[in-house]
Amino acid sequence: MDMGIGLWCLQSTATNPRSFEQAYQELVDDARLAENNGIHSLWLSEHHAYYDGYCPALLPAASAALAATEHLKVGTGVLLLPLHEPNRVANAVNLLDAQSKGRFHLGVGMGYRPIEFTMKDELISKRLQLMNTGLDTLQAKVTTPTWVGVSSEKAARRAGRRGLGLFISGAFSRDVVNGLIAAHRTEWETSGSPGGTPPPVGLLRNLWIVDTETERRKALEWVRSSYLVYAGLGWGADKTGVDFVSQIEASMDEVERSAKVGSAEEIAEDLEGYDVDLVVCRVGYDQPPRTALVEVIERIGQELLPLVKELGVQR
Amino acid sequence: MRLVLDLRKVSSHSERRRLANEADQHGIWGIVVTGPPGAECVEAAAIATVTSNLSVIVDVDGDAAHPTTLAEEVAVLDQISRRRAALIFRGETTTKLSVAALLSGLPSNGVILSPPPAQTAVPVFAPEDMPEVDLEGDLQNNAAIIDQYRDASTPFLVVSWNGPIKELARHLVGRAASPDFPQMVADLADEIDPIE
Repeated sequence: MDMGIGLWCLQSTATNPRSFEQAYQELVDDARLAENNGIHSLWLSEHHAYYDGYCPALLPAASAALAATEHLKVGTGVLLLPLHEPNRVANAVNLLDAQSKGRFHLGVGMGYRPIEFTMKDELISKRLQLMNTGLDTLQAKVTTPTWVGVSSEKAARRAGRRGLGLFISGAFSRDVVNGLIAAHRTEWETSGSPGGTPPPVGLLRNLWIVDTETERRKALEWVRSSYLVYAGLGWGADKTGVDFVSQIEASMDEVERSAKVGSAEEIAEDLEGYDVDLVVCRVGYDQPPRTALVEVIERIGQELLPLVKELGVQR
Repeated sequence: MRLVLDLRKVSSHSERRRLANEADQHGIWGIVVTGPPGAECVEAAAIATVTSNLSVIVDVDGDAAHPTTLAEEVAVLDQISRRRAALIFRGETTTKLSVAALLSGLPSNGVILSPPPAQTAVPVFAPEDMPEVDLEGDLQNNAAIIDQYRDASTPFLVVSWNGPIKELARHLVGRAASPDFPQMVADLADEIDPIE
């Protein structure tokens, strides 16, 4: 099992206002820190026209993180493909791939905010069609590892049919995660196993390494409050127990239940139950002080990584 | 007049990065890069990350992208580069105006960039705003070319240069900046500190 960190969104939120220049400088610093601690990858996330500057252009940001490092992989978790011109994305991805010697991973998703489609002169009702057209272009033009962000079994099956990897939200319970993975794998197998080897599965998990009960409580508050962003964005997923539009408190409770905050040993034990290739530790919250973020990245590399290296699927 | 080193025809990424680094160290005002449509700001962001001082000008195909998408990419580049981004826009005038408005922090068609650019406004140039010359002759000929553009009040000159970056910086940057450039000082500098 590989260990990554995410999601870097480059925001200046109501909870933690900061300068954007600082945010982008810290992206570069954090990429170097992750690399120095043996972490597999750093993942970025995209939205458009949100009040907090949520990063709208992931590929230049990924380029900066890759230029600052030599071994770290950098991924998009996820780029909202229907909001981009697929040929431009393919050109950018191929350049990133060449510049970084294969260290770029492309995660794509459909998007769900009406305003983002309006500002790009697209209809949200056509997002699936746009997604499929975009994936057709990408599959014809790029060889970069490609993951699809999903929040339903139907979407997981679509990714499996194409032989593409899965990138699963950090908000879902273990049962929901396992259901998505099973749907993905079954569809891949019944579709003639495109690509020959099972496509990888990446899983975002809310986790934080702590030593005391006080620290544990604090970290869980950071996890909960980080989802305020998604309440503002209006994100929800059917049949998952997570809907920040109509059930904010219940969804935050669900997120807190699925989060793992404890010692590295306790977290490793929890991760053992997931049949995945990559865990992206969701630590890019807006509330923790900088010192706490730096410390948890170091501890993920030094304490958690050695414990989980042999876990997960052996493909 | 400011000199801009043209890296658009340098095919190797590692060579572009090396030249940009040298230009950064030797006080060249800026570089210009491009790429296939969609990849322009990816190339520029990589250069911006490994440099500190020079302006990073990105030459884009403005008709291949939605204006908001293009402006978002340049705004992020401006944040990454810490206020060093500029744009050469090739495309429809109406699109250029829309991109320029967004990159000034103004609304365009109901959209406001978030994040905004780091600068008050990212400069948006048309290709004709930035004349280009190949400086492939000897220093005396190159000096005459620079004098000609400077005396015509050209604000920026994009130069293709195959020699040592330090030579460009020593002999031609100061000449571009000043009508009474003391060539003797540059020549003496060559004796004191020969350029390999």
